[in-house]
Amino acid sequence: MLRFAGTILSNGKARIGAAILGLFLLIGIFAPLLSPYDPNANDFAGGEGASAAHWLGTTAAGEDVLSQLLHGAQVSLLVGLVAGGLSTVVAVLIGLSWGYLRGFTAEAINFVVNLFLVIPGLPLMIVLAAYLQGGGLIMIIAVVVITGWAWGARVLRSQTQSLRSRDFVTAAVFSGERPSRIVFREILPNMLSLIVGSFFGAATAAILAESGLSYLGLGDTSTISWGTMLFWAQNSNALLTGQWALLFAPGLCIALLATSLTLINFGVDGISNPRLREGKDAR
Amino acid sequence: MHAVEDVSFTLRRGEFVGLVGESGSGKSTLGFAITRLSKPPAAITAGRILFDGTDVASIEDEPLRRQRQGGFAMVLQSGMNALNPVRRIRDHFGDIFAAHGHVPADRRDERMRELVGKVKLDPSVLDRYPGELSGGMRQRVSIALALSLEPQLMVFDEPTTALDVLVQHAVMETIRELQRDVGFTAILISHDLGTVLESAERVLVMHEGRIVEDGPSRRVLEAPEDEYTRMLLSHYADPRAEVVSLPGMEEAAVRRARGTTRAQDAVAEPTVGTRQRRAERAVVAEGLTMTYPPRRRGEEPIRAVQDVSFTLEPGGSLALVGASGSGKSTIAKMLTGVERPTSGTVRFGDLDIGRLKRRELRTLHRDVQMVFQDPYAALNPLHTVEYTLTRPVENFTGLTGSAVRRRVLELLETVGLNPVEQFAAKLPHQLSGGQRQRVVIARALASDPQVIIADEPVSMLDVSLRAGVLALLEDLRERWGVSLLYITHDLLSARLITDRILVLNQGRVVERGATDEVLRAPGDEYTVRLLDAVPDPRRAGMV
Repeated sequence: MLRFAGTILSNGKARIGAAILGLFLLIGIFAPLLSPYDPNANDFAGGEGASAAHWLGTTAAGEDVLSQLLHGAQVSLLVGLVAGGLSTVVAVLIGLSWGYLRGFTAEAINFVVNLFLVIPGLPLMIVLAAYLQGGGLIMIIAVVVITGWAWGARVLRSQTQSLRSRDFVTAAVFSGERPSRIVFREILPNMLSLIVGSFFGAATAAILAESGLSYLGLGDTSTISWGTMLFWAQNSNALLTGQWALLFAPGLCIALLATSLTLINFGVDGISNPRLREGKDAR
Repeated sequence: MHAVEDVSFTLRRGEFVGLVGESGSGKSTLGFAITRLSKPPAAITAGRILFDGTDVASIEDEPLRRQRQGGFAMVLQSGMNALNPVRRIRDHFGDIFAAHGHVPADRRDERMRELVGKVKLDPSVLDRYPGELSGGMRQRVSIALALSLEPQLMVFDEPTTALDVLVQHAVMETIRELQRDVGFTAILISHDLGTVLESAERVLVMHEGRIVEDGPSRRVLEAPEDEYTRMLLSHYADPRAEVVSLPGMEEAAVRRARGTTRAQDAVAEPTVGTRQRRAERAVVAEGLTMTYPPRRRGEEPIRAVQDVSFTLEPGGSLALVGASGSGKSTIAKMLTGVERPTSGTVRFGDLDIGRLKRRELRTLHRDVQMVFQDPYAALNPLHTVEYTLTRPVENFTGLTGSAVRRRVLELLETVGLNPVEQFAAKLPHQLSGGQRQRVVIARALASDPQVIIADEPVSMLDVSLRAGVLALLEDLRERWGVSLLYITHDLLSARLITDRILVLNQGRVVERGATDEVLRAPGDEYTVRLLDAVPDPRRAGMV
């Protein structure tokens, strides 16, 4: 694991991404200590602009924006890591077995994956979210996983198919290896960079999806996340009242977090290639 | 790192020079430097290359592009894959004529026909797509494309290595004739001293970035000055000769006639004891036929193998030889249960391999193992040698704990990878091609098999490494009592390590018998063609 981190960080862009992500992680973990007020406290004057007491002003309902922003990082990070991780796990399990197996099973998986690929993601998400109303974060994570795994599975499957015909896989069959071991010990490590890449991609998508759903008011509107902040800001016509920070601050945070993950993705190429790794060490 | 060091030579106009060296000798680096195709980080740190009086390295980009016409050109090993698959051959010529404008528009068609004619192709190929041509035809097209620029200097970088043996021979012939007729200066870069001596008038031998030998072909052949050249030459022999031997290897039949085996020569080494059983069961193929459905509707089905029968006796050695497409690899697939024959049977003892279920194949692989052609692809790049060898030991022998590791080290010892502890910890990319192939062989031995199928095990290796791997295979067969099915296009190696031979042409057996008898007195015209295709420096004297 440490080796992976080192490989990723040897890339300049990935270092910048990791720094931003690290900052958000710290903010998320220490939000209770950093924020000046309780994010749910609504006994301040509503709709105020920036001041020494409230750096980013207050919401229409009278809550401190900075405190909400800091606490909101927790939800985005949690959804990003958990939903991104889960959909990657599903993608790996399905993509690899789909790519390795032939015959009827592969055809059946093919049908299911194609089904998920042709259903437009956003409407499905909205329908699911509306149907599972009131499930809170777990519901959002479930929705993101259900709608997000198919693309990754497809990419991993095609890579598995190309690796399957390599001599070393045939050689593993001759060594008496069982199919599950061939898939997970011979093939999987050779596509680790692809998997890590698809994890960061899925996490980005999950963060954006969570914000989107919350912004549409489909999540639990009482939780504090960047998406719900946007939802309430929109509800109270924040832009018309000149409180641009209410929209701008959570929007910028979402964009920055997504950017940081994308930047980290630039560094994952070296993971599956010992030769690339060594080339870096030598320099 | 210095890939090429302190190399100096002069080429006369119209000379045909061969540049020979094994992998990593710097021969291609030199070729790329001469034609100004080196890419960063490669750089010329010292020295100059003068072409017609101008320093090649100092030519600006645009003049460099312009001088590709009438200057120097290069034909690459993968030149046949350099054609754009969605454009017809005609368009490829058209692009070059348009870029340089050296042929007037109304003469272009005529010129194209003339050029493809020079490389012995029919003018009708001009209207075909690269995908419709065979590898040999595509390589001819790429030579014609290089020729269309009327270069004064042509560099051929392994122009035939990726082609089938019989095609190789024909393409080399064309290159020789072209050079004679057109009169350009030619540099032929090759790993194969035999091929070069056959074609070039002068030979440069490279070793570790330096030129160790420079002289007329005949002189190099008859009185090589350098130790390295002598070593390379010693690895060639005529498979038709009465007695064939390579350094460290003698023909199997001769040794047996003398009544000694290598095992006795080498005194009993401790590794002999690791062999638990000798091969007991024979591999018997009867009327083996494999037919693939046609690629397109309306075409004939592809008959890869037709009615092939043979027996591989326990502890025996059989060579399956033929050019590519002769069906020899398909037979290997059927023997290992990877593919099922369309008709006919193949048996291993009482097992009917064609009818085994997936699970039973595992039992088969305990006894029938495979050595792959490409040692660079046959090892998982992420696993250490130890892991690679541990798996079959655990899966097949029932050993556990420290016994497994002992066995793995024994296997490394057997294939001659010493010190074993060090090699066990290495990753494939830290090994040379020959060492990798030894690991692949060790893995095949791990299950203590009765039969080893070796599919072109040395064709990807340098000439000087081949003898070592062949000797190892031969050694294993004699000491361990494994049966060996040796698949190859190279009749010399077949002569050295097998007793019986089966010559295949387009899926049919055209000749069979004792290896030395068949090769000394071939009965079929196809066998003769295969024999002629074996590069032999001694033939150079006749050119």
